[in-house]
Amino acid sequence: MATTQLSNAPASGLVRPLRTRLEPYWLVLPAMLILAFFFAGPAIYNIGLSFQELSLFDIGKQGEWVGFANFAEVLNDPATRQALFNTTLPLTIVTVVIRLFLGLGLALLLNASVFARWRLGWLVRSLILVPWVTPPVVAVAAWKWLLDARYGVVNQLLVGAGILDQGIPFLARTSTVWGAIETMLIWRELPFVVITFLAALQSIPTDLRDAARIDGANAWQIQTRIVLPLLKPVMAVVVLLTTIWTFNNFVYVWLATRGGPGDYTHVLATQMYTASFIDYRMGTGAAVGVVMSLIMFVFALIYFFVLFREK
Amino acid sequence: MALANNTGLRRFALDLFVAVFGIMLCLILAFPFIWVVLISFRPDNEIFTRTFQLITSFTLDNYAKLLDGSPFPTYLRNSIIVCSVATVVAVSISLITAYGFSRWRTFRGRQLLLILVITTQLFPFVILITPLYATFFQLGLINNPLALVISYIAVNLPFCIYMLLGYLDTIPRELDEAARIDGANTLQIIFRVILPVAWPGVVTVAVYAFVSAWDEFLFALTLMTSDENKTVPVGLAGFFGEYTTQWNLVMTASVVSTVPTLVLFMFLQKKLVSDLAAGAIKQ
Repeated sequence: MATTQLSNAPASGLVRPLRTRLEPYWLVLPAMLILAFFFAGPAIYNIGLSFQELSLFDIGKQGEWVGFANFAEVLNDPATRQALFNTTLPLTIVTVVIRLFLGLGLALLLNASVFARWRLGWLVRSLILVPWVTPPVVAVAAWKWLLDARYGVVNQLLVGAGILDQGIPFLARTSTVWGAIETMLIWRELPFVVITFLAALQSIPTDLRDAARIDGANAWQIQTRIVLPLLKPVMAVVVLLTTIWTFNNFVYVWLATRGGPGDYTHVLATQMYTASFIDYRMGTGAAVGVVMSLIMFVFALIYFFVLFREK
Repeated sequence: MALANNTGLRRFALDLFVAVFGIMLCLILAFPFIWVVLISFRPDNEIFTRTFQLITSFTLDNYAKLLDGSPFPTYLRNSIIVCSVATVVAVSISLITAYGFSRWRTFRGRQLLLILVITTQLFPFVILITPLYATFFQLGLINNPLALVISYIAVNLPFCIYMLLGYLDTIPRELDEAARIDGANTLQIIFRVILPVAWPGVVTVAVYAFVSAWDEFLFALTLMTSDENKTVPVGLAGFFGEYTTQWNLVMTASVVSTVPTLVLFMFLQKKLVSDLAAGAIKQ
């Protein structure tokens, strides 16, 4: 009696749990292999490549090991310093800050109860989504046309209003080109910020506001003392994501100006693409990539550190 | 009485102001694209006007020219095939993976793997491009749409897994346990029991994956070298090259390029917004 129990119990106790214990690994394995092939592999390859000199024509061969020469070249190049500055200030910081404030303002406005009461929610939501629905390439094409010196609406309206005598080629002048690129980027990427804030606002329970109102708080106090502090975690996520996405962005600058006029608007991403795929110097391109990742890695670390210390 | 009327009137005036102001702002935001649509219906000679006119004459000539006499239909076909295949595969793999993470809460390494999946969202994609070009070159996949399919599957996996995991967690386990007692294996449970129930979440994730592949420019630019393999964004960018720009073709192609994403978004507008925003907030 006792032996049959013993012989049965281990059989079902070992074999079946082993299969069920291995099952989750089988289920997640394909995805993990793809991610390893696509993210981890290239990242390591890229680091190796940044220490070699290798032409795009010699792919597959071993490059010449040059130590830190690529990094020395990249970091001593005034063009890189210009690109680093461009990536950090006009491309990333300016557009992230403007997106944060515009997005917050629009979300607070569109969260007003009148849109729900008058059944206008679908209308403003659809309109706000339009820029986000247009592919980035289309966004750049549309704005290039709007900003055209002769036939663009922006110049026509400015000339019509008597502000300008004749149209400005916004993308060809150093004084206006960054403003033009920033406009394209902010226009296309603003809806993500608005929608995220709007969702967060709508998740704030209404009794919180009602209680504050009963205690005598006015509309401004409710927004600044109750609503904004509750939005803080969402703001943190929005700032982190938009900063990293923008810092690494290639498409807006490339399509708007290809780094021009001259090299005035090159950012690290366009510089990296140019090094690897126009000048065929893959080692140099890889070194720029490593520098970019290091900067974003340090940014993310500092950001998380500050966030967690606050908590 | 007079007082109540007065506050009622003031409230109404304030509401009206907020509503009109909000709609005006949203219209201004949407204007650049609305303008592209209007331009695409103009005859050639009225595109290049020196003064601002909202509406002129109407023609479908530009669309006829774009679809018959430009390489755009080829780009459209390439994009539709690449993005559809990548979406179906990415969503299927994500569903299986999310099921594993959702139903086995305690396996060793689960937490670490999940963190790694989320971290890839913060990964700078540009640094992938040189090594991926080298890898695909060695595999003989440069200028082969398969390289793009693989890329778009990989790029979309992390987000899809993460979103579906949240969705599957809300589906009661009793459902799969009942199917298991009836003798279904895990894959059957995922695709016959879970998929029909998780359908709304799967659609949201699929739309997201399709649109992000549809919009992608850098991988398509570097990995597809010949004209007949280009996708819509790269093909469209070729229309406004450095030297010559056929603006009527650019505007028309822009409208056509946006139609699929526009339709998908408008279709799912309310749900998609809340789902995506919820995903963003959870992170």
